[in-house]
Amino acid sequence: MSERFKYREDREAYSAARVRALEALLIKKGIITDRTVDTVLEFFETKMGPFNGAKIVARAWVDPAFRERLIADTPKAIAELDLPDGMAGAEGEHMRAVANAPGVHNLIICTLCSCYPWPVLGLPPYWYKDPTFRSRAAREPRAVLAEFGLPIAEDIEVKVWDSSAQIRWFVVPERPAGTEGLSESELETLVTPEAMMGVAVAKAA
Amino acid sequence: MKLQHYLGGLEGLGPVSTETRVFVEPWETRIFGIHTAMMALSVQLPLPATPSAFNTIWTWADLRKGAESLNPFDYFKYRYYEKWLGGISGYFIERGYITAEELDALTDEYYQDPSKPLPVAGDAAIDDRVVQYLVEGDSPKRDVTVTVDFSVGDVVRIENVPSIEHTRLPGFLRNKTGTVETVYPGAYTYLCDTGPDGIGPTMAVYCIRFEPAELWPGNAEQNFSLYADLYARYVAAIDNATATKAA
Repeated sequence: MSERFKYREDREAYSAARVRALEALLIKKGIITDRTVDTVLEFFETKMGPFNGAKIVARAWVDPAFRERLIADTPKAIAELDLPDGMAGAEGEHMRAVANAPGVHNLIICTLCSCYPWPVLGLPPYWYKDPTFRSRAAREPRAVLAEFGLPIAEDIEVKVWDSSAQIRWFVVPERPAGTEGLSESELETLVTPEAMMGVAVAKAA
Repeated sequence: MKLQHYLGGLEGLGPVSTETRVFVEPWETRIFGIHTAMMALSVQLPLPATPSAFNTIWTWADLRKGAESLNPFDYFKYRYYEKWLGGISGYFIERGYITAEELDALTDEYYQDPSKPLPVAGDAAIDDRVVQYLVEGDSPKRDVTVTVDFSVGDVVRIENVPSIEHTRLPGFLRNKTGTVETVYPGAYTYLCDTGPDGIGPTMAVYCIRFEPAELWPGNAEQNFSLYADLYARYVAAIDNATATKAA
């Protein structure tokens, strides 16, 4: 049993060699090309990523009617914006946004795996995939949020959304105070993936 | 029973990770790319045929089945992409695309010389399809008429279906009652048929609100609600709790 709790000493070097061997074999066997993995990674650097989510939230902050449409019919509202093709693509086919408000704080989780809205946020950070987070957030979200440095007052309702079917969720955080003079593009820089999943709030720079 | 189906609410685990990086080692990006390519090249998708030798199905459900079948200690022990690397390597070996021996031998070569280049080969149509998949997605929604038994505000009971290999019913919701918050328009398939667990066929999906005080009696935080999206198969009438719902 003790072996179960040990890692090989060359843990990362071994995995690096093994994944490279796997990629090489898949290219050699004609399953993928020598460009496939880089093509995927480039797509997430330029087309699907948190830069889209930041634009959506910034628009919701400056345009209350857009914010209402975003909550009522998330994909339709997102389609209004000038974003890359694929906003209803992989892992964003059916997205739903919930908005924080005075008295309400939302937190998105996936207790069964790591469902995440790729088109607007890209790939999930490690905290979201952590089995400990996924276990604890379902029963003690306030304790978990406090560990992220986000204490939630008792009079604020916490709504936790477990992504167990095919709908992918994100949070529209509240616009921080003191940002009245900022442009929409300046506001975008205040939006983080953590704020759009609910383990942080947006803060003025 | 698989612990991975019952993670929600598990206690005694210590502090959460607050790591905000997506990848913590450069090699992790490569297995993510391979997985995404497999999903895009999976044979059931209505996308243009390519010269790729990949001729089987690979979806999220296959990746999830692998993770859910792990020893639960290993599930906690290994990082996210370590589990992917194990599951995906195993799939290619089991399906006969590669052999364990050639993977081990080539791993040794790259271990000795990490700068050894990758082969240069492949038809661009394969990569075009991968991008097309990412842009178009693979919607499980079907515009067909299905039975919708419940309306917003209805109190419902969650079934305790016999899940074996794979499920989308979080264990902590089984046998609990909740209130319908949303009836999603249309109907949804799942990535595979989960057998007696019962999803796969086209059916309604509900968002259901649960009271933490009922989920965790005497052990819940205050002023909080838990919502979960659940396939209709998992949702039953409150006054018919013991009846077996037709699959």
